[in-house]
Amino acid sequence: MTSTETSPPREDTRPEAARGGPSGPPRQRKYSASERKLRRTGWLMVTPSLLHIGLWTAIPVIATFALGFTDYNVFSPPRWIGLDNYVEIVQDPVFLKATWNTISYTFWTVPVSMMLAMIIAVALNQGLKLQKWYRTAFFLPQVTATVAIAMVWLWIFNPQQGLLNAFLAIFGIPGQAWLADPDWALWAVILVGAWQGIGIKMLIYIAALQNVDESLYEAASMDGASSVRKFFAITVPMLKPATFFVLVISVINAFQVFDQIYVLTDGGPANATTMMTYEVYRSAFQEFRMGMASAQSVVLFIFLLVITLGGRRATREDH
Amino acid sequence: MMIRNSPTRVRVGAISAVAALALGLSACGSESDSSAATTSDPDEVTGDITLLTPIFEGTEGQKLLEDELLPQFYEEYPNVSVSVDYTTYGNLNEKLTTAAVSGAVPDVMLMGVGWIEGFADRGLIADLSELGLTEEKLLESYTPAIVDAGTWNDGVYAVPIMLDTRFGVARMDLLEEAGYDSPPQNWDELVEMSKALTVRDSDGTLERAGFDMLSLDSRQAFETMLFSAGGDLFNEDDTAPTFNEDPGVDALQLMSDLINVHEVEEIGFSSPDAAVNPLLNGRAAMGIAHNNLWTQGLEAAPEVLDDLEPFVIQGEGEGMFFGGTLATRSATSQSPEAAQAFLEFLASPGPALAANEQRGNVPALSELLDSEYVQSNGFVQFAMENLDVAKREGGPAEWLEVRGDFAPAVEATLLDQMSAEDSLNDLAGLVQTAIDR
Repeated sequence: MTSTETSPPREDTRPEAARGGPSGPPRQRKYSASERKLRRTGWLMVTPSLLHIGLWTAIPVIATFALGFTDYNVFSPPRWIGLDNYVEIVQDPVFLKATWNTISYTFWTVPVSMMLAMIIAVALNQGLKLQKWYRTAFFLPQVTATVAIAMVWLWIFNPQQGLLNAFLAIFGIPGQAWLADPDWALWAVILVGAWQGIGIKMLIYIAALQNVDESLYEAASMDGASSVRKFFAITVPMLKPATFFVLVISVINAFQVFDQIYVLTDGGPANATTMMTYEVYRSAFQEFRMGMASAQSVVLFIFLLVITLGGRRATREDH
Repeated sequence: MMIRNSPTRVRVGAISAVAALALGLSACGSESDSSAATTSDPDEVTGDITLLTPIFEGTEGQKLLEDELLPQFYEEYPNVSVSVDYTTYGNLNEKLTTAAVSGAVPDVMLMGVGWIEGFADRGLIADLSELGLTEEKLLESYTPAIVDAGTWNDGVYAVPIMLDTRFGVARMDLLEEAGYDSPPQNWDELVEMSKALTVRDSDGTLERAGFDMLSLDSRQAFETMLFSAGGDLFNEDDTAPTFNEDPGVDALQLMSDLINVHEVEEIGFSSPDAAVNPLLNGRAAMGIAHNNLWTQGLEAAPEVLDDLEPFVIQGEGEGMFFGGTLATRSATSQSPEAAQAFLEFLASPGPALAANEQRGNVPALSELLDSEYVQSNGFVQFAMENLDVAKREGGPAEWLEVRGDFAPAVEATLLDQMSAEDSLNDLAGLVQTAIDR
């Protein structure tokens, strides 16, 4: 039983009319001149944001939903085709592969980068020497253009002159065509994604660690708990709210991966690394099928909506 | 080191070209009542126009266009001003799409072979013959196949500036070491020689590919082999794909066999973005290459240029592919005469030659075969001399929609994931659906 259920009901101090009481329909509340002025000022203050959201978010989102039901090639007016785009999406093996690739990419990059980010955050929270330098170094990939990062990784993955194969050769391990071999290409992309995602997650964890009560660790130390025990019994549970937040944000970001695919693999080889966002791009800008791209975007939106709502529910239940 | 035109030579070429154009189009003017740009007094042609270009990229290209070519154009057309929007072929689609959506379509757009049909069909680009540039006129200066790349439904929608060709290239020093004195004359010889020229170390690691196909975009490599097999992409009226017929299947099967059966190259051994083409550093003995390999060789390995021998890949047909860059005019241009005047200027001998030199490409104008640049560039000269057997990609208006589907299909077979027949049949299904849509 929750504390809410056991608490006595609070007295409603509002006027009866405002509560919709038995005396009839609620009357319109009359605001004083100063209240009206305050309300007008409030609306004035939020108008720029409302306009911004309306113009750049609401209208495009509504347009995307509407265009998803049309055949629209940019050069001629949209033609209503009902659910045809969605039927094609369901039957399109490339989009299904892209969906599966996106799920695989998310499944591997998010937990791996979260785990590493938490470990690094805890390590950097111990008052190491050069702590700030390390924090900057780990955060650097987050603020570096993905295209630049991808170019570096292109060199690392190069089968002939690449760093990775040269490193493996030291141990006698044969090199691979990391980005050209369909068995390895997705893993290579996942590695880049996981590495790049560590920085922001680490930053959130470091911030969350500042709120963990030191007395908990002191008490555990007095009880003879080891560092590992303290990590799992105190740190991990206390970071749970941050973990949920990082999880939801990371999953959404992972589902929206695009630029590293664009630069590293172009979705290949043989669609081995194509993602949902990349298919949206291909439909829109390579095939000029804006209607199809819109429908694919709606599918992606639904995925993200479900994930976000799931995350919210999990967070709410946790609290 | 790259040989460049001196500005003086470019200027003389451009002025003579504009003069020739004026002479030629004065004849056109008598045939048409429309006020063609070149039949008007250049002083009367006015307007602020925009150019969208995937060529003239980089510092060198920008310098050529802005410091050399535009001043020449302004000398002839003092009342026209040109704003340039630089892009790359990779981003051109996005630029054109957003331009079309926003209604701000550039007045002059340079785009690729195979693009014209789609944009002409959708009404984005104008029929240039409305201002006097007729097919007959173009045929005086270009080969029919090149003119065909700029036409759609009996209209002329684009004027070629430069061509990108792909053909076979052999490292003759390596062939001679192996006892061969000429490139392969047919597919059997291609396979036999490729196998003999492949070198692996004691661990079996590939050191030298007998025949490199991976340094080229897989769609274009397949198209070159398809043409070599005597096949075509589409039927004559471009209403159905034919690349999945026997020649196409044979071509893709050959490519797959070379990798998976004869093992003359391995996936990952090279790629289109490789820093150095393996033919230049001896990591490949033969291969399919772009004509600008010569220019790359001039900069990276001039000592091997004498050993590079281009050849048409012979099968049931002749394997040589051409793409290229063509100049088009927006159908909604507010200054159509100024736009067409600028388009014709860019396609005229002087500017076209300079642009080709800058990119190491093949001039589309037949008369430039005798130019110093062409005569000094072995691959460009070879390409121009063999343009009559070259075939291009494209055909139906839907080509732009489907061309991106070729690479995954070809790669699936090269990776031994699907048979050549299944890959091409699946692809043909997609293409047919797009055509019928």
